[in-house]
Amino acid sequence: MAVVAAFASLLPLGYLLVRLSEFGLDRVVTQVLRPRSFELLANSVGLTIAVAVSAVAVGSFQAWLTVRTSIRGRSLFAISAALPLAVPSYVSAYAFSALNPDFKGFFAAWLVLTIGTAPYVYLSVSAALVRSDAATEEVARSLGYGRWSVFRKVTWPNVRRAAISSAMLSALYTLSDFGAVSILGFDTFTRAIYNAYRSSFDRSAAASLAVILVILTLMLLYAEPALRGKIVPTDARVRKTSLVSLGWFGPVATSLAGIWALVSIALPAASLIRWNLIGLSKADGGELLRALINSIGFAVGGGFITALFGLAVSILTVRYHSRLTALLDKAVWLSHAIPGIVVALALVFLSNRVIPEIYQTSALVLIAYLILFLPNAVAAMQTPMSQAPRSLEEVSASLGSKRLQTLRRVIIPIAGPGILAGGALVSLSVLKELPATLMLRETGVETLATRLWNETSVGAFSAAAPYALLLVLLAGIPAWLLNRQVRVNLNSQLDLDRRMERE
Amino acid sequence: MNIRTETEGNQLNKALKRALTFGAATLAVVATAASLAGCAKESTPTTGEQSITIYSGRSEDLIAPLLEQFTEETGIAVEVRYAGSAELAAQILEEGENAKADVFFSQDAGALGAIAEAGVFKTLNTDITDLVDAKYRSVDNTWVGVSGRSRVMSYNPELIAEADLPKSVFDLADPSWKGKVGIAPSNASFQAFVTAMRVLKGEDAAKQWLTAMKQNAVLFEKNGQILEAVEAGKISVGLINHYYWFELANEIGEANLKSKIAWFEAGDVGNLVNVAGVGVLSDKPEAQTFAKWLLGTSAQTFFVEKTAEYSLTGLPATGWLPQLNEIASPAIDLSALAPLAQTLDLIREAGLTD
Repeated sequence: MAVVAAFASLLPLGYLLVRLSEFGLDRVVTQVLRPRSFELLANSVGLTIAVAVSAVAVGSFQAWLTVRTSIRGRSLFAISAALPLAVPSYVSAYAFSALNPDFKGFFAAWLVLTIGTAPYVYLSVSAALVRSDAATEEVARSLGYGRWSVFRKVTWPNVRRAAISSAMLSALYTLSDFGAVSILGFDTFTRAIYNAYRSSFDRSAAASLAVILVILTLMLLYAEPALRGKIVPTDARVRKTSLVSLGWFGPVATSLAGIWALVSIALPAASLIRWNLIGLSKADGGELLRALINSIGFAVGGGFITALFGLAVSILTVRYHSRLTALLDKAVWLSHAIPGIVVALALVFLSNRVIPEIYQTSALVLIAYLILFLPNAVAAMQTPMSQAPRSLEEVSASLGSKRLQTLRRVIIPIAGPGILAGGALVSLSVLKELPATLMLRETGVETLATRLWNETSVGAFSAAAPYALLLVLLAGIPAWLLNRQVRVNLNSQLDLDRRMERE
Repeated sequence: MNIRTETEGNQLNKALKRALTFGAATLAVVATAASLAGCAKESTPTTGEQSITIYSGRSEDLIAPLLEQFTEETGIAVEVRYAGSAELAAQILEEGENAKADVFFSQDAGALGAIAEAGVFKTLNTDITDLVDAKYRSVDNTWVGVSGRSRVMSYNPELIAEADLPKSVFDLADPSWKGKVGIAPSNASFQAFVTAMRVLKGEDAAKQWLTAMKQNAVLFEKNGQILEAVEAGKISVGLINHYYWFELANEIGEANLKSKIAWFEAGDVGNLVNVAGVGVLSDKPEAQTFAKWLLGTSAQTFFVEKTAEYSLTGLPATGWLPQLNEIASPAIDLSALAPLAQTLDLIREAGLTD
């Protein structure tokens, strides 16, 4: 299964090679080596680094604040940290520019994409914090370490792996994003790829540009293990949670988190509601319902299938270390920075030449989702799985369980929340996905995202508003569940602590 | 410690059960969803067994009622896929031999030209191509224009008298126009016009003109915004497509419009007429029927009345609009009008786009 998944992930690369070979090396070189390419590359790299760094900063801060401190209203802050995940970046970009038409350029793109991807970091760092033992932090504090040193020396190593793999998601999302940067007028490499299709109908020129994104991804993948740090195994038996009281820093932290919530949720929500008030009357109920049903179908189907393959990849890469599984791990990520339209065209090309029967059926759409979002699933599953103590498996084996039994009775229950989280994350991304859905769906099948595109492309913004609102509300469900899962674990641990103390 | 291990054991069991129930539930949901996903699409009324698939780069809002009329009149059912013209062109090229679409209905001539160049279109029957002036179809009869739109200048008579309007679009490069003229450099029809300028007048002339416009022009995102600014008296002249004026006239009433539209002197590149058009991808006779129907009276009347576009088969233009043959548009092969990368580079180098 993992091999199938990795193979699927490599399909777009195969397609790029076919396109490039038709093009000829010299033309590829001239296309790529234009001075403009370097400008765009610099823009993309700058934006990607800025977004990834700030997403880690914002997400980790939110996670620490809501999991480790006794700050007032922390569950509210927790929800507001997860919810921006429900808003597609093109909707949020539109919402911001509707409030202020001058909201454009690097800063605008940075803000919208940071808002959109910080929740990845928040969710996985929160989960890692809940799983890691706060007792060591207490010990460090009792030995005289300050709050910052404790964070740097004890807490950070525990959550680093989670933070870095979600930072990868944020970085690759930024590299491949088209909707937000085009609405906000910031020229990136991905915009150049779209322009190659739109203005010169040149698939090979677009392919040679896309290859640059793959090379960038390779560089990121190469750097990632060094950033990730060592796995810190947690001991499943002894877990203690403690909530730090913040003192003077409390009000500062509250206002920081409050301002961020205001900017990331309240502002776009207000804009979206205003947009809806103008346009509510124009929605066609039947069309809305059909789009809603199709969106749910794709989200559940895509989430389930991708989670299944993601599980296989995660088990192999976490539990069976070898050179092959390490390659597998990388292969899954390779095409993640390729813009959706290129992945979609790759599938149009390949399916028509290999199995024309599945072209423009839901099956091909689900395969596209698998390719596009497998890394989201794997990132959510790997960390919890790698933190599950190996000793439990050894015990299970010594008691005579077969490998599959161990998998079913030990690994899956422990990593269960991670698996569900992976599925939910994929469902969310599926709901928001546009270019591949638009190109690969069966003719006549509309989703909320494609209807939204349809209406906005003719400037019928008021008719589009109900679709945008419904899309955000629907995507809010998995986002809310993801957050709830983290909080439930935290609360049950806090509960347990309290009972232990009474004993 | 005992309590904790026990509780955790319970939790594991519960988690396992939950996982299994969830798995079963998901499977059920996926199965239903998959079947629903198959169902939840709008069915087109079928009156016969004939049906064609259309890839439409023109918007659903505009085209859906037209297609209903087609099905009503011919009994041929229609499946449509709406997306951007350029994306659809790329998709058709990647489909290769197994083209799903019978017909490609494009928003602009550039996308049609790209497909024609790849040799994917079937030749149109002569009873179709004969309906349209050679100026508005491809040389090899692989695609044909269906409706036309002209580049015009909109102007505010309170700020400039008709007699003082520029004779050529190149006159706008004169410093006296500083701050008085509006353009939308990121708009596709502006870019097609610049491509035409490059083709007809050469790179240097186009470059000089764009550089001058950087000095003179007020920049907008869209044609509609230019027209609003002319209406409001912020600029005296704006370069737009003719039908934007009629769109606004329909919305607020022609009598309430302050602005007017006018053309440059005969043959000026500023009068470029571009088309939306259609090409046939399969051997189905119904596909040719559709292409022909688009050039028939019902469809041509539809374009003239609904969008104020020009009929390419000689139906009179809407309202007071000059007839298509009265506009002295420049002679150019429309297939060459894809706003090529060089055009975009040129516009950007002049500092008109980011």
